[in-house]
Amino acid sequence: MTQLLRTHLYNEHVKLGAKIVPFAGWDMPVQYSSVKDEALAVRNSAGVFDVGHMGEFFLDGKDAEKFADYLVTNDILNASNGKAIYSPLCRENGTVVDDLIVYKLAPGRVMIVVNASNIEKDFNWMKSKHKGFDCTFVNKSNDYSLIALQGPKSFEILKTIIKDLPDLDYYSVFETAFDGQPVILARTGYTGEDGFEIFGSHTTVENAWKKLVAAKVVPCGLASRDVLRLEVCFPLYGHELNDEVNPYDAGLGWTVKGSKTNFIGKEILASKPAKYKLVKLELEKGIPREGYPVLNSALEVVGSVTSGSMSVVTGKGIALARIQIDKAPKDEVFLVDIRQKPYPAQLVKKPFVTGGHK
Amino acid sequence: MATNIPANLQYTKEHEWTLLSGDTVTIGITDFAQSSLGDIVFLEVPEVGSEIKSGSTFGVVESIKSVSDLYSPVTGEVIAKNTDVEASPDKINADAYGAWLIKVKVKNTDELKNLLSPAQYQEFCNTSH
Repeated sequence: MTQLLRTHLYNEHVKLGAKIVPFAGWDMPVQYSSVKDEALAVRNSAGVFDVGHMGEFFLDGKDAEKFADYLVTNDILNASNGKAIYSPLCRENGTVVDDLIVYKLAPGRVMIVVNASNIEKDFNWMKSKHKGFDCTFVNKSNDYSLIALQGPKSFEILKTIIKDLPDLDYYSVFETAFDGQPVILARTGYTGEDGFEIFGSHTTVENAWKKLVAAKVVPCGLASRDVLRLEVCFPLYGHELNDEVNPYDAGLGWTVKGSKTNFIGKEILASKPAKYKLVKLELEKGIPREGYPVLNSALEVVGSVTSGSMSVVTGKGIALARIQIDKAPKDEVFLVDIRQKPYPAQLVKKPFVTGGHK
Repeated sequence: MATNIPANLQYTKEHEWTLLSGDTVTIGITDFAQSSLGDIVFLEVPEVGSEIKSGSTFGVVESIKSVSDLYSPVTGEVIAKNTDVEASPDKINADAYGAWLIKVKVKNTDELKNLLSPAQYQEFCNTSH
């Protein structure tokens, strides 16, 4: 077994009494107090997550935006400077290598943030496509710490420690200083709430973490993060997305911009090749979990749950489920098989919870 | 982990507590179990009148993020279930030893001889996480 990695904030988590579990090769805090209290803190006031395990790649040079635009399906070239863009990263056959965020820091300067479990895979994939683009491409994951301050009070709280904090738009980014040290500040996150992600050197981010915790921001673990992202129906790689599916299979057709001149997977994705569709299911009774079969009214299996939990906001069972398109029931009646018992599930069109981001 | 282990109960390695009274065993989950699980949000226990078997699962307890089976330490008939706790499973977090789950009329009280004493259970909790 390989040694689990630890973020720079590991000792802080231990001091705060966190329960630590292995996640994507890392020893990460799964919860500090209670999953419910942590999730509700983010919905109602503010919470802070250590997401230092995530990967940061930097593209610097004339072709930085062009290279990023070629790699991913979403439109990078036409987005303004200072914008953050969510996108799948696909292969020529349309399958998803990872989902990520491209940050346009400045002309000729781009940061790409990827899932912890995929850092090596993504870097090797991107590196293999780098030839011919006039920019550097560097993995700086080990040099950066990252924390996410999330919740409706994020701006008000962050303003107390970064005095000249501008009221950035959601999905914007800028480079500034904290305690005299450079940081990248992005109004992004994985909870659907307003919030900021703070990238910087390990010691700088540690200082920011300590100041936020001292300001009574609730430290939150990966468990609450997973519930929060599921409530607002954000996909998670390894669950809704994987090496076998394409963006259309996961309801991410909106991120594929066929109008772009060229990008990896463009040809195949032009035909919108979906074998599956991702649906949102809500249960009055029973908690759906990953892998549980999804049934039609005749109790035939039509798909399975990719992520499931109980919503801390609604108290209902909630699930994202991958349904085979050729078996999708016309009457839209679904049940979830929980321990060999079918539980009625309501198909919903909107996210289970509406996040309060700007 | 510091945990509350009442002296008048007997325990299983699956972190259930039992209380024998005549030929009836009351079963719940321990303070250690509720604390490990976190916010308990769902409980499934068998209907009154059903038979349960020693060593088999008889129900499920779920926290927001996890599902755990409940294992019966005895064979017998379920003669009561705690509908209050079924309706509000968070009562287990508040008081694990007050929030009993089911009462079972046992066929053979000898089965209870294999259960852990409070001291043995404390030792078990100390060595397993």
